Amino acid sequence: MTLEQILAERPSPGQPRTYRFPAFERAMLPSGLQVLTVHVPGRPLVSANLVFLRGVGDEPRDIAGATVLAARAMTEGTERYPGVELIEAAERLGATLHVEASWDAFVAAVEVVAPRMEAALELLAELVERPTFPEQDVARLRDERLNDLMQAKADPRRRVERAFGATIYAAESPYSRPSGGDEKSVPRLSPDALRKAHASILAPDRAALIVGGDLTGVAIPSLAERVFGSLGGAAASLTPAGAPDATSAVSRPIVRFYHRPGSVQTELRIGHVGLPRRIPDFHAVAVMSAILGGLFNSRLQMNLREDKGYTYGVGAGFDMRRGAGPFAVRTAVQTAATVPAILETLSELRRIRETEVTKAELAAARDYLVGVFPLRFETPGAVVGALGGLFVHELPDDELSRYRDAIEAVTIADVQAAAREHIDLDRMAIVAVGDADAVAGELDSAGLGEIEVIAEESPVTAGDDAANESDEEGE
Amino acid sequence: MTVPSVRFTDERLSNGLRLIISEDHLAPIVAINIWYNVGSKHEVAGKTGFAHLFEHVMFQGSRDVAKTEHMALVQAAGGTMNGTTWLDRTNYFETMPSHQLELALWLEADRMATLLDALNQENLDNQRDVVKNEKRSSYDNRPYGDWFHKLQAHLFPAEHPYHHPTIGSMEDLDAASLEDVAAFFRTYYAPNNAVLSVVGDVDPAQARAWVERYFGAIPANAAIPPLADMSLPPVLGAESREVVQDRVPLPRHFFGFRAPCLGDTRFDALEVAAQILAGGKGSRLYRRLVRDEKIAQDVAFFSLGLVGGASIAAGQATVRPGVDPALVERAFEEELERLGREPVTDDELARAHALIETYELEALQRVDERADRLSMYATLLDDPEMINRQLGRYLAVGKAEILAAAAEVLRPENRVVLTYVPATEAGDGTTDGTTYGTTDEETAA
Repeated sequence: MTLEQILAERPSPGQPRTYRFPAFERAMLPSGLQVLTVHVPGRPLVSANLVFLRGVGDEPRDIAGATVLAARAMTEGTERYPGVELIEAAERLGATLHVEASWDAFVAAVEVVAPRMEAALELLAELVERPTFPEQDVARLRDERLNDLMQAKADPRRRVERAFGATIYAAESPYSRPSGGDEKSVPRLSPDALRKAHASILAPDRAALIVGGDLTGVAIPSLAERVFGSLGGAAASLTPAGAPDATSAVSRPIVRFYHRPGSVQTELRIGHVGLPRRIPDFHAVAVMSAILGGLFNSRLQMNLREDKGYTYGVGAGFDMRRGAGPFAVRTAVQTAATVPAILETLSELRRIRETEVTKAELAAARDYLVGVFPLRFETPGAVVGALGGLFVHELPDDELSRYRDAIEAVTIADVQAAAREHIDLDRMAIVAVGDADAVAGELDSAGLGEIEVIAEESPVTAGDDAANESDEEGE
Repeated sequence: MTVPSVRFTDERLSNGLRLIISEDHLAPIVAINIWYNVGSKHEVAGKTGFAHLFEHVMFQGSRDVAKTEHMALVQAAGGTMNGTTWLDRTNYFETMPSHQLELALWLEADRMATLLDALNQENLDNQRDVVKNEKRSSYDNRPYGDWFHKLQAHLFPAEHPYHHPTIGSMEDLDAASLEDVAAFFRTYYAPNNAVLSVVGDVDPAQARAWVERYFGAIPANAAIPPLADMSLPPVLGAESREVVQDRVPLPRHFFGFRAPCLGDTRFDALEVAAQILAGGKGSRLYRRLVRDEKIAQDVAFFSLGLVGGASIAAGQATVRPGVDPALVERAFEEELERLGREPVTDDELARAHALIETYELEALQRVDERADRLSMYATLLDDPEMINRQLGRYLAVGKAEILAAAAEVLRPENRVVLTYVPATEAGDGTTDGTTYGTTDEETAA
């Protein structure tokens, strides 16, 4: 055969190897702390996440930012290891300590080789249970956060993310704000506010220790009892976590355009309040989102990038949280293409609601989501992260092992129902950061809804925005 | 702790394609990574950005694959893919469920063999627009966005192939023609200019047979033009400085140094030094500038390994509001110079070694990273076995090596300092995409 003939013949796939999401074991310590263990043979680097079911979304408005700031301050010293001594002790073990507050949860994590796991877990316990929140370090981190807010305003991508949250959510929703707090709340964050935030997080019966890796010869539950047995013993009466308020601020199509003269691109976010994680049609939404804006060859990408060349990339999807997170189309387009790109986006959103996806589209999305599943969980860190998601969203133990079958079962009708139910053109917010003067006429005549143009602020004097806003942190 | 060694075979097809296969059956997945020995250093004046634009064209179809069908087939098979372009190389990679390996090999072979059959003006124009938008969103519309391009221009003389940015200039992108694309393909996209690594859940005999079947008959190019000599004086000779007005609230210094090439043990020493200088909250620059003196908002220091005459060591520090930028610059430079004067402590060295060990272990867990590194070391150093020696090389770096490398590299007469400052009213810092490659006008001693 010639090379031409050989290449003209497409290969067919071989026999897939059986795959199962790694099995995990559950135990519970007397304190109520859950312990999830997943043995992944051949993986000497162990991931351990201590996950608390309290996140930024559970934070009262007056101390907005306290949870994120507490997470940052917890590696700044503890009773036994003042200042950087804690970090140094971890470094000597080759252990990486990481504390992060997301909307849904508070996670303290360590990654280390199995033989040094016990020592590393002891540092993790020290960090979680006995942070000191020194005044001068808290003051520094507070200043750093305020400086970062200032920097974020100068970056069109960060600016549009914050503006989008502030536009679509009502002020009473925590999702309307940046997860790290805003210019008003951050200056109020004293060491005491952080101690209060920290105390409200620590509660063993709202927490899980999740450990994954090659755990041959290690009895994690007894190790956990030794290291974390006394965790948060004094925790006060607990209220259930519940779902954060996600009230929408938008009831009709609107455009909010942040003027940034001379911008060579317009950053666009188009969407509305979306969905929480625990919904009955989760898998149908996943397939629909992939077709609309998730696959490399999604409808939006094929239209805006591969056909029109307006953008380097466009994506769309639902950020599912314990409360209803945002649905958004995200892209940046050359300034001259701003209005055409908005119109094409809206037309794609209309189309996925109004007409059925094709069999080929359904197959492409399902096959991708099913096929890529084992790739997502190659390392223990990824498995541990996914188990954290189960815990945080209070999902059944078989949620991940049945994922692929559930995706396979999604039909064309399911996809259309998900689009009709969860994408709403009548309250679509179009938020843009770009050169408003350059597109003003076109924008006015496009009939996109009520238009508000926000004048430029000098980045140097940028202070309070009237609105409470939300940026990308913690998502 | 020992990082498991990566066992692999290393062979060449008769057309010169270098094939590296490494078995690992832990997960039912396989990664392939093909490195072409062509990067933006192969571009000539007037044609900057071409290697990268070409990379985009590689996803626009070949004789047996329609436009964007590459992505469709890979994703429908449950795989992931992409391509990247850098100064020294262009690479293309897929990670697949292991029973889909043959598809990925066929896709790579089809475009290596038949790309020009599908090339047309419409697709080139479309991807030119996409790349111009990539340039806008990655550089032009970002605060401090062009710092690396300016650094390149200061570190390398105008005639040196590392002088210009990989993304190119808008004018050169506009000027790229179908003939340019075809000539570039014929010159560089030949099997004897590529390394293909296959890593993961694979039967080596089967993989070898597939590679032979799909790639074996693709003709070599006997006339790949050699690169001009890229050697450089090891140090700049005089400090080079530029003040850049940009639309930023806080001033930020960027520092750059010419450094020894990838594969030089002094480069390993600089990587360990970078960990001690700025690797997290236990590091020197963080402790002094951010934590103790509170004059910087953030700090960084890192090195970028290259093979064409010199690598780049670079750092940055964002100045806190109300602080004199000169104070931050001085403190940063003092810490760099101190590293060349006084040995680091035993504890600093031990902590850096322990962390580097973990980072290496973490990275090498994944089949895609192993495939990338095998192809990288084979392409750039003709030595894929480096994948197993690199950690040992880091651990062999002692106090004396750090002292010597820092003294040689991190010194004032080898330094570039770019200082971004908030734009004044007169020049509002708006970037229009036409300023690149013309940034060495402020060179000063």
